[in-house]
Amino acid sequence: MSIIDLTSMAEPEGEQQDKINEILKTLKEDIPNDCYQCGKCTSGCEAFILLELEPHKVMALSKSGFIDELLNSDVIWTCVTCLKCKERCPQDLAPVDVIFALKNIAVASGKQIDTGISNMLQSVLGSGYIQQPKEVVDKDNKAVTRDSLGLPSLPAPKEIQKLQQVLMKAATETLG
Amino acid sequence: MDKIGLYLGCLIPTEQYAYEMALREVLPDLGIELVDVEGVACCGAPLRHINLSLTMYLSARNMAIFEKEGLDILAPCPYCHQALSEAKHVMENNPALKAKINSNLETEGLTYKGTIKHYHVLDLLHDVIGIDNIKEHVEEPLDANIAAHYGCHLIRPNDIPRPDDSENPQKLETLLKTIGAKSDYYKEKLDCCGAHIMVNESESALTKTGQKLQAVEEQGFDALTTLCPWGHRMFDAKQEDAAKVVGGSIDVPVLYYLQLLGIAMGKDQNTLGLTLNLSPTDKLSFIEEEI
Ligand code: SF4
Ligand code: SF4
Repeated sequence: MSIIDLTSMAEPEGEQQDKINEILKTLKEDIPNDCYQCGKCTSGCEAFILLELEPHKVMALSKSGFIDELLNSDVIWTCVTCLKCKERCPQDLAPVDVIFALKNIAVASGKQIDTGISNMLQSVLGSGYIQQPKEVVDKDNKAVTRDSLGLPSLPAPKEIQKLQQVLMKAATETLG
Repeated sequence: MDKIGLYLGCLIPTEQYAYEMALREVLPDLGIELVDVEGVACCGAPLRHINLSLTMYLSARNMAIFEKEGLDILAPCPYCHQALSEAKHVMENNPALKAKINSNLETEGLTYKGTIKHYHVLDLLHDVIGIDNIKEHVEEPLDANIAAHYGCHLIRPNDIPRPDDSENPQKLETLLKTIGAKSDYYKEKLDCCGAHIMVNESESALTKTGQKLQAVEEQGFDALTTLCPWGHRMFDAKQEDAAKVVGGSIDVPVLYYLQLLGIAMGKDQNTLGLTLNLSPTDKLSFIEEEI
């Protein structure tokens, strides 16, 4: 199988659509029922002041079915994944995981995502890593590499095609 | 423990070379033999934004490779460490999912059983090597007040095993005291570095970086120390960019804890990757001028 850009999948069909519906249903049914909108998650949210992310609103909106709005909004991409909301929620809920689920659904349903993020996927599919070893500059502006620093070469997957193939398969499977 | 498999993940071996140099230089002197293992790849954490199944598969895959070699894992990146911890936890509690992942692993000739442990530098130093042992290796105690930065993924979430407490971690401060330094409390200690939105919201990311550095500077610390390649990249390599975004100048030396430990152990400073730190480390008295 060649490298498929998951992020450019056209309108989801069939199995893919079922999978999305299944996740959406679980999301709607499972999570925000116990959320009593205390706002503790938002009070400590690292993306609240700067980027106006309000995790308690994400919880309320996904429960009330405004999922499309969330999927189309940049706000789900502003979470810095500090995990403080999950840590501190008095109801043991995890807004960060709801946000991750929304991002996963956005990607699977073909929404445009930042190229910086899709590039990491391309790179992992092609080489196993999010990027290749870089030439970096030191304090004196001298360029150095792993080699010039005497570091051993980067270990790599023996058969990258096999890894690619299994990742493509895993991406279409639901967890659980 | 004497042998441990080294799992560097993506960021350390592709650009955060100072962390790798320092750990290869320092840990063997403390009785830890690091073993490089072939065939490993990304831990999957950066792909979690795209698809959680990819994260789970990649984490399980790496653990399966080390398990095959009969080695416990040292994962010096908190982001990797957390992904491995989560995959392990999920598979322990969900045999059906474990079976599903294992059937995919078979394609690559691998199986995950769950028989090995993994460590970060923090618990390896503090809990395995031990404070007393480290103390015996200190030749030149560091006279400085150094702010501690743990990294969000190292201490959270607490529903899976993490190397230190989620709200009041202290192991890094203890390690700093062990090498003669002081490490005062500062209220921004658990603030996030911003790294995770650097790709798509760089200005906000740099604002977070700059604000934390300013807090460290204003409270009179001599330096900031890190245990995470993502945070280190923000505070060290991106310090100038962060200063521009928040306005004003920032002048905070940023060093990996293992670099500080190496200095205190009297190591040749050339071997600790100190020329790769782009923040103003040379203003510290214990950094040699010409290295
Ligand atoms: S902290 Fe928990 S219960 Fe409170 S608003 Fe946030 S998700 Fe809801
Ligand atoms: S994990 Fe995301 S949503 Fe939760 S507190 Fe941190 S930035 Fe906010």
